[in-house]
Amino acid sequence: SPGTSTPVTSLFSSTPTVTSEQIEHLHRRFKQLSRDQLTIRKENFDSIPDLEFNPIRGKIVHAFFDKRNLRQESDGLADEINFEDFLTIMSYFRPIEMNMDEEQLDRFRKEKLKFLFHMYDSDHDGKITLQEYRNVVEELLSGNPHLEKESARSIADGAMMEAASICVGQMGPDQVYEGITFEDFLKMWQGIDIETKMHVRFLNMETIAHCY
Amino acid sequence: MFLLLPFDSLVVNLLGISITVLFTLLLVFIIVPAIFGVSFGIRKVYMKTLLKIFQWATLRIERGAKEKNHPLYKPYVNGIIAKEPTSLEEEIKEIRRSGSGKALDTPEFELSDIFYFCRKGIETIMDDEVTKRFSAEELESWNLLSRTNYNFQYISLRLTVLWGLGVLIRYCFLLPLRIALAFTGISLLVTGTTVVGYLPNGRCKEFLSKHVHLMCYRICVRALTAIITYHDRENRPRNGGICVANHTSPIDVIILASDGYYAMVGQIHGGLMGVIQRAMVKACPHVWFERSEVKDRHLVAKRLTEHVQDKSKLPILIFPEGTCINNTSVMMFKKGSFEIGATVYPVAIKYDPQFGDAFWNSSKYGMVTYLLRMMTSWAIVCSVWYLPPMSRQPEEDAVQFANRVKSAIARQGGLVDLLWDGGLKREKVKDTFKEEQQKLYSKMIVGNHEDRSRS
Repeated sequence: SPGTSTPVTSLFSSTPTVTSEQIEHLHRRFKQLSRDQLTIRKENFDSIPDLEFNPIRGKIVHAFFDKRNLRQESDGLADEINFEDFLTIMSYFRPIEMNMDEEQLDRFRKEKLKFLFHMYDSDHDGKITLQEYRNVVEELLSGNPHLEKESARSIADGAMMEAASICVGQMGPDQVYEGITFEDFLKMWQGIDIETKMHVRFLNMETIAHCY
Repeated sequence: MFLLLPFDSLVVNLLGISITVLFTLLLVFIIVPAIFGVSFGIRKVYMKTLLKIFQWATLRIERGAKEKNHPLYKPYVNGIIAKEPTSLEEEIKEIRRSGSGKALDTPEFELSDIFYFCRKGIETIMDDEVTKRFSAEELESWNLLSRTNYNFQYISLRLTVLWGLGVLIRYCFLLPLRIALAFTGISLLVTGTTVVGYLPNGRCKEFLSKHVHLMCYRICVRALTAIITYHDRENRPRNGGICVANHTSPIDVIILASDGYYAMVGQIHGGLMGVIQRAMVKACPHVWFERSEVKDRHLVAKRLTEHVQDKSKLPILIFPEGTCINNTSVMMFKKGSFEIGATVYPVAIKYDPQFGDAFWNSSKYGMVTYLLRMMTSWAIVCSVWYLPPMSRQPEEDAVQFANRVKSAIARQGGLVDLLWDGGLKREKVKDTFKEEQQKLYSKMIVGNHEDRSRS
């Protein structure tokens, strides 16, 4: 649910795995990407060569500007983001803490899944339709230029049907499956341990000082 | 008849005298302390002096770069994120395995596949391998090794002179000194252990064997100019136990064995290594396996168990990752050593990258090249933490125990605790390889899809 506008640094200060030193590193990275400006635009991500090879590059960059991810009240796309927004997106990739209780873990998980959901749901209507699913599969398989569009399509269709069967069960012949809502999305991921897969770990720089 | 001119004889005399002086110094300041296990503290003074010089050098670079308005490269070659060096296939398999529980040989597209690319993308945005430039704001130390610094062009005359002096010192003074020491250490080890091997078994033999081993390892430590700080030495491994440590380089063995008396475990090699191994086992019961035996896990486990159950035998030294890791993370520990049922003494080793990167990338450098690189660095500075002993609890299995030990080591050494198996590829993914990865992914999904639709 939207609403609580937690300042970003508190998101991090409650997690000891991201220290102020690491936030400094991220800040430096931000300044490098923004070429010392206060905000970043989509074009700034073009300066990362390694990102070129990622098939869902477009979706990832888009995610940074998606107002739903930026925890803003309005909807749509932002034109530019500042460092606080940058950190907000990064916070979706925090690793889990040892001392999290059930409620925190659940919220943590929902946040990560919401981020993924927004990546699939490109028209922001709260549902992943067949076409949107097809788009994702096509992008993921876009690394192979010899791939027929039909193959990507049939894969997406098959996967979508399976998703439907999980979410809705047996459908009648005249029932139309509108699309995967967020609740259905959560259902699909039940029992699957995503928290350990969707995180980025920082190196601990401090122990280097202990060497002498 | 060839008459030596007085000048020539003077040169010869001088040469003779300087070599004698050098060797006397060597003996007095390095070898004798190694034999008795004392230290003059020369290496610590050396290290502090070096640090001051590095700081000065870095200031010069930054000042120079600021004047010319160039951005600087950051010397932390490892970056700020622990990148899991797994391949696409392995990671997707792992994601799916932990997920739907479907059979792995039906690789259809799954919703979770997007994780891999999503995470890789975010990692790249956070910290790019190719462009690691940051504007110079704080002091980052350059260690006068051009292999670690790419800003080499942006320096002043004074710095170049200093760097040149550094090269001279390292290659013409330190390197021969170190090679001489290493040679002395290894030959003493081989002859010493062979001689001790002829003695009848008993307390005398044990005592001598221990001291021969320790002495030679200490000489080798000095041969690398390793400056080691040991923490919590009261937790050092005891007889009948297993000492496990994270693995960064072959030097780890020397570092640990110069502070304790261990039974080594390993495969018998050919060449010089084999000679050393065969000599060592004469003096005390190390556990060497033939190449064929290494594959037989039951045999290995059996021999190790036998060794451990004999309380008179030394603690075994094992590196459960199985391969050298880059000292920023700890990979999965192979569970073999943890099934044996002995007390485990974990040890964390952390190298300071400032003085030289100790990681042995065996796919990039051979052993000899690696040793030469180590011997032409300034020093190897590291910290060793002896952690309190751990035993397997009744309700945990070998894998859980192994993970528990691994986390303890990772936490102490400030290393990231990773789940993946260290036997996977370590090298940086080349561009063409990345494209291949993408094609591979599509092949994985589509190829099988087509097979099925055909059948």
